[in-house]
Amino acid sequence: MSVRSLRLAVQYVSFLILMYGGRIGIRLGSALPCFACPFVPGCGGYCYLMGLQGYIGFGLAAGGAAGQQILEALFWFLVFVALTSLLGKVWCGWICPFGLIQDWLSWLRNTLGVRERYISPDWKNLIGSVKYIFLFCIVILPPLITANILPPDFYLPFCSICPGKLILPLFAGETQYLALNLDNAVTFWFSLSLIAVTGSTLTGVFFKDRLFCLFCPLLALIHVLRPLTALKLVKEPTFCSGCGNCRRACQMDVAEIDQNAPQVQTIECVDCLRCLEACPSSGALSLRFFGFKLFSSQRFSTRALRVKP
Amino acid sequence: MSPNDTRRERLYRKTAQKVQAEETQILDWLRARDDYRPELDYFLAQLADRSVRAVERRSGRKVVRLLCNQAPLELFLAAGLQPLRIASGSFNEASFSVHNWPALTCPLIKGILTGLILDPNLLTGPWVIPSSCDWVVKFWEMRLEVSPLDMTANDKELMFLELPHFKNRPKSRNRWLEEVLELKKFLESLTGRKIRRPELLQAVSTVNRAWQAILALKDLRRQGRISSVYFSAVMGAFFLGDLDTWSNQVTALCQKLWPAENPAPGIFLAGSPIFFPNFKLPVLIEEAGLRIAADDLCSSERVFPSGQVLEDTSEFGLTAALAGRYHQGCLCPTFGDNERRVNNILSQTEESNFQGVVFTVLKGCHPYDLESVTIEKTLKKHGLRYLRLETDYSAEDRPNLLTRLEAFASSLKGVRGVS
Repeated sequence: MSVRSLRLAVQYVSFLILMYGGRIGIRLGSALPCFACPFVPGCGGYCYLMGLQGYIGFGLAAGGAAGQQILEALFWFLVFVALTSLLGKVWCGWICPFGLIQDWLSWLRNTLGVRERYISPDWKNLIGSVKYIFLFCIVILPPLITANILPPDFYLPFCSICPGKLILPLFAGETQYLALNLDNAVTFWFSLSLIAVTGSTLTGVFFKDRLFCLFCPLLALIHVLRPLTALKLVKEPTFCSGCGNCRRACQMDVAEIDQNAPQVQTIECVDCLRCLEACPSSGALSLRFFGFKLFSSQRFSTRALRVKP
Repeated sequence: MSPNDTRRERLYRKTAQKVQAEETQILDWLRARDDYRPELDYFLAQLADRSVRAVERRSGRKVVRLLCNQAPLELFLAAGLQPLRIASGSFNEASFSVHNWPALTCPLIKGILTGLILDPNLLTGPWVIPSSCDWVVKFWEMRLEVSPLDMTANDKELMFLELPHFKNRPKSRNRWLEEVLELKKFLESLTGRKIRRPELLQAVSTVNRAWQAILALKDLRRQGRISSVYFSAVMGAFFLGDLDTWSNQVTALCQKLWPAENPAPGIFLAGSPIFFPNFKLPVLIEEAGLRIAADDLCSSERVFPSGQVLEDTSEFGLTAALAGRYHQGCLCPTFGDNERRVNNILSQTEESNFQGVVFTVLKGCHPYDLESVTIEKTLKKHGLRYLRLETDYSAEDRPNLLTRLEAFASSLKGVRGVS
């Protein structure tokens, strides 16, 4: 089985579990390092970003009065660290349901023969910094609600504009987030922003593979824990012929992947392993789990040769 | 002899006869070997007639002459054209124009220039000249000396493909992409029809099938089941006819039951290209009790850079991917940031447990000559035996080369894993 087929299988199984698992009693907790949207009725687990916003706002900020909540926040944080340490960005490239939806759009673009747009490194850096702004808001806004500086309508600020909140529930028949929320000015602007962000995201992703991952605050959070991650994409520069196949195959256009350096897992990398599969140099790229080689690039890989005219 | 024959014409005719005899001699020798198989007939027949007309007849396409295989072949095929790499390994062709050029002129270019004199059809038609090495860059200017044919009318049939010599700079990559897009337009202008996505996908598929066939052939050689001389002959026929037929023939050749593995120590051959009928070095290597198990010659395993990885299959995406592969994937020593060329040798030697590397430098081939110094250092640092051979198309240095290769073979016997 090729890496691509395996990844696709994992993506679909994960999608089913995370979107519908709750209906058959699967509860994977509130610290999943991927967009497992809690707004999907009957979902199998919750994205950690929601937990983070909730606990920071109403747990940690409440101090000693909410000791139980602090312990709970700490518990889910440790679960998040453990899950991230185990699989790293495989959560993004292989498990995230919103990642799969982005891949569907890329497939549609390819099928229609529309060209993928290139983002210059400068623009990529600029776009990439948005995820830190999101992360900052996720940490700062909830305590401001607890302190009554912001109204409660600011609860879960990132979720309120996350395109996953609008798109993923549709797969469970939930359409309420498509409508504008006219309860008050804050909810109106949030719901309008949600529709605008979702529309732009879908358009952007259609023209650029995994565009949303550049903005994703969860990707930044996972990357912070990269030193702890057991799963590592390793490059052996001595074996690299510099052909650039890896970079052309990369969904995230990671510039470092074809350089003559061992460090290839940058913040953008989602561990999709397309680079590894496209690499024609044996052993130049490998995926290791606690140092044990799981996959390795092969000289006679026929991956590159599957072209349907 | 007719009274109108001039002395020069007689000289040309005599040289053409010598070239013909040189090629026939090699072809006869190839057919007379013990390990000859009838499946090789197809390739030898193509080598026997490499004229533009013969290639056009066999492929059913108009030929575009290509001075270096740097240009994406897929674009030619998608345009319904036949790329024909113009090369010469003939001693008689190279030595014919020896007095016209400096002593250390590349024998390949000298041979091609003579070829232009001997076969006027070679010059008149579309040309694509990638600016890879200095000799290739100067070629068009040099050819005026031997064939001052007025090409003004044919300017629309000539394209210089300007190759940026630094692969890792984003600016270079963009410039190269512009050149490839320009090439696409040029090829479209030759046929009068647009190269669209379906034709590009078809062409990529054709080249990928060829790559698959090459992989099987490479495997056969690594196992020591096919002589490198035949390998060179098969690869020499790559541009000489329909590519699909070539791939089918190679596949049929690989499916043939070949003799048991050759126990001779396998070496890696790197350096300047080897073109028919100059099989001097592969023959000498065999005579010295060695066998070429793999190589990185642009006339052989590196005839084009591997199969194509396609993610963006739009028309632009395909063209951009082709451009990227033919630029970054090229290990030609003319690049200024080619330090990873040695990685290819190291990874292949490690993978197949070769113990020695023979580096061949064609006299006058300066980029390979320069690069041999750094490659030697790196290979020796990794514990590999290394032999550098500088030669040309003449047979005079055969005994000398053979002695050095025999000594090299003896030195390999002490190496672990070589008996």
